Amino acid sequence: MDDLLAEFIAETREMLEASGGEIVAWEANPDDRARLDTIFRFVHTVKGNCGFFDFPRLAALSHAAEDALADCRAGRRDPDHALVSAVLAIIDRIAAMVDAIEAGEEYPEGGDEALIAALDVTRETLLEDELEEGKQGSNPPRNAQNGPSFRQDDDQTRARRADGNAAGQRTIRLPVELLDRVMSGVSDMVLARNDLAHRLRQAGNQPTIDGPFERLTAILSDVRDAITRMRMQRIETLFGVLPRLVRDLSAELGKQVMVDLDGGDVELDREMIETIRDPLTHLIRNAIDHGIEAPSARHAAGKREIGLLAIAARQSGNTIAILISDDGRGLDEEKIAAKALATGLITPAERAGMSRDKLLNLIFEPGFSTADAVSAVSGRGVGLDVVRQNLEKVGGSIKVTSAPGEGTQFALQIPLTLSIIAGLTVEVAGQRFAIPQGYVEEIVQASAAALDFTRMGEAALVTFRGNRIPCLMLADVLGLEACDLSARDLTLVLLRLASGDLFALVVERINSHGDLVVKPLAPAVMKPGLYAGSTLLDDGQPVLLLDVTNIAAMHDLVSDGRARMLQPAEEEAAVAAAPRAMLFTDFAGRRCAVRLELVQRIETASAGAVDRSAPRARMVIDGAILPLAGLPDGPVTGEKLRLLRLGDGASELLHAVREIEDAVELTEALVPVPEDPLVEAMTLVEGRPVALLDAHELFARYGEPPLSSPGARPRCVLPDSEWARSILAPLVTSAGYEVVSEAGDDPDVVTILSQDVFEVAEALGRMPAGPVIRLSDHPQNSGQDGAIYRYDRERLLAALAAARHPRVAGGKRT
Amino acid sequence: MSELLVIIQIAGRRCALSAHDVKSVIEIGVVTPVPRTPDFIAGITALRSQTLTVIDCRRAIGLDAAQAPTDERAVVIAQGGHSYALLVDAIEDITTANGEPGQVPGGFGPDWSRIATGMIETASGPALLIDLPALIAGPDTVRGEIEAAA
Repeated sequence: MDDLLAEFIAETREMLEASGGEIVAWEANPDDRARLDTIFRFVHTVKGNCGFFDFPRLAALSHAAEDALADCRAGRRDPDHALVSAVLAIIDRIAAMVDAIEAGEEYPEGGDEALIAALDVTRETLLEDELEEGKQGSNPPRNAQNGPSFRQDDDQTRARRADGNAAGQRTIRLPVELLDRVMSGVSDMVLARNDLAHRLRQAGNQPTIDGPFERLTAILSDVRDAITRMRMQRIETLFGVLPRLVRDLSAELGKQVMVDLDGGDVELDREMIETIRDPLTHLIRNAIDHGIEAPSARHAAGKREIGLLAIAARQSGNTIAILISDDGRGLDEEKIAAKALATGLITPAERAGMSRDKLLNLIFEPGFSTADAVSAVSGRGVGLDVVRQNLEKVGGSIKVTSAPGEGTQFALQIPLTLSIIAGLTVEVAGQRFAIPQGYVEEIVQASAAALDFTRMGEAALVTFRGNRIPCLMLADVLGLEACDLSARDLTLVLLRLASGDLFALVVERINSHGDLVVKPLAPAVMKPGLYAGSTLLDDGQPVLLLDVTNIAAMHDLVSDGRARMLQPAEEEAAVAAAPRAMLFTDFAGRRCAVRLELVQRIETASAGAVDRSAPRARMVIDGAILPLAGLPDGPVTGEKLRLLRLGDGASELLHAVREIEDAVELTEALVPVPEDPLVEAMTLVEGRPVALLDAHELFARYGEPPLSSPGARPRCVLPDSEWARSILAPLVTSAGYEVVSEAGDDPDVVTILSQDVFEVAEALGRMPAGPVIRLSDHPQNSGQDGAIYRYDRERLLAALAAARHPRVAGGKRT
Repeated sequence: MSELLVIIQIAGRRCALSAHDVKSVIEIGVVTPVPRTPDFIAGITALRSQTLTVIDCRRAIGLDAAQAPTDERAVVIAQGGHSYALLVDAIEDITTANGEPGQVPGGFGPDWSRIATGMIETASGPALLIDLPALIAGPDTVRGEIEAAA
């Protein structure tokens, strides 16, 4: 707001200055139409601008002057000297008020009415006596009628203006080109200084020169700092136009949208602001066009009719995060999936294993656009892929999150500045190249043997910290003469791409690192796709900046679909620890989940394929008759039936679902539900309860049991607890065991013990004769000393399978 | 209006550039080669804090590489927001044009026709007026071959 105000003041001042000459000319010749128009425009603009601010007095003054001048323009009134004087008095008063506003003071009350009265707006035709009166006061123009009081005002004004200038921060407006010239001038100066420093070093110590030179260096670095700050601009300049854009768009689309801007004081490189202008506009268009629903639809959905579009900027370190969130309908996952499948971006198998988050971010893939109909507003043939491309070009990124029915949020990450980046200079074949520091994960120098450097066909791999990392020779990439690699230690630069992919670049030498001022390259030089720009080193030599992302892409080192971008390596490790489940809604409308490991795939079949002749429903899929669970009691509505195909390794069954939601991680606590045998546990997913189906109970009930006589089944003793009886027992049974109460001394009976009971038994030396499986109550203990977390289905099953064949397993006490 | 022209020599031919396009003439310093670019791009060089793309004009026309030494000076031009330094045989003179560029019967030959606007009469004799964007674009066919070879 303060910036807007400053802008208003600056603009008004500028107009006052520009129209100063016009005012004088108009005073000399009130009939001059052109002058009249200029002054009319001025008061009109002031009046318009006042509307944005709460300045009733300014508004009243400019409005009165505008009315009077409009009469003159329309020929209803002759601009006599009295009028001219009155208008000029008002203009002076406006200038005085603007000064007061800038100084943050209240302009003294009163006097406005007199000024307005002097205009005599109500009179369209002048009466004789008033004409007389006007003429009397008109000769010394500024002393008409209320002359003395005007004088007084003027004096006050001058005093005030002088004060204001001394107190407030003065700003001037400059053309951008001038700024650019100053900046490149300073860059040149720095280079000249570096050159001079080089020569001075060669010439040896010269105290008479060294002192002043040091001073020059210090001054120069100060100036450089100041210049860098000059480049920075508040993001407000970008935000300023958004309310209008939103207003126009929502009017055009018949929607009601309120925009909430936050963080306008974040400063950003001027060029960077230009770079993100289009992507930001595009995202806003999208949000209003596709995101926010029509008022009636919003009303029906129980939302406020006015949609909210929030745009917030935050600085964190040397990146800026911009969030654009709407409270609209959210992204339609199914639609995106269907589109992605149709365009061949993903395969059905990939789709099944894809989390909602990953799937949603497919909208940034080239050639993707969810809108069925191209609308005038957002369907411009420029998709979100271009938005992402543009952001990536400047080293930024974008991702999307969305909750159905609740809204969509786009998160943009952009570097603070475009043209000065931290970089690393490397050397290969006697030529230097720069690499943006942001990509550099690590620099490694070791012998080829230590890195396990191997050539696999044309490709090369190194092993570092236990990971095999693809490796590129920079010399090969650039087609330069490489020196013999085996002869000496390898110098590797490990580069981490925005997508999370890691690769190594073999160089010959690391030279230096520091701030690089990046300059654009000519199109012909950019064409090979290897370079992102050029920069000048301290010695004045130009160096090419490598386009790391593109080089990686050219060598197919970027993972498919870029899905990994959203899932950094650390997260992937976490995924292995937390159980994953497929979330769905069953025909009773209940939110359920089933462990993802059990889901073979998602099937869609016609409802007519269900065979209900037997007591249990069955369905033929891929030529196999499979049991079908989860059907509603009544007939199935709709033609298509969505099915989860579950498998326990030996047998398969189908579970009918109403809607498949997502694959999620079960990070919240699993609360056992003994009262429902079909439910293993309840847990929370995104704050809402989800029933985790007991797949083993499912298989026990619906699965075709293995054809074996009860006598041949191995026996198992369970701990004496409610949990073991209701939850563990079905699992153990479904694994082919017969639950018995006493093990005795039979070495073939498997005993399942909780970890603490086991410890006691071990201490007392009263270990069961047969194999023992230990259970832990806490997932974090799982795997320690062979204990298994009691909901770690796979390990439990594996342990049961191993114990089933004691001779094969060698009586292993797991 | 007689236009000011800078007369240069490329492969022994007299050529003319509009003086309006020529920013300056510089002593060419160290040129950093740019790997994997067409050979008519000699590299990049620094002019104060600016980066110039150095164009070898003979190769850009599609002629054989240097038989004659090039001038140590280069013509700096700006095209499409980028600055280029043109390596030429020699920079001769600044002169004025007499009349408009025209064609000659039989043409200039395919290589030259591609980069020439036409023949122009100058105060110091006729010269070939260079079409700068075409010159900087380089010989397409040659570039294609290089890329295929690479």
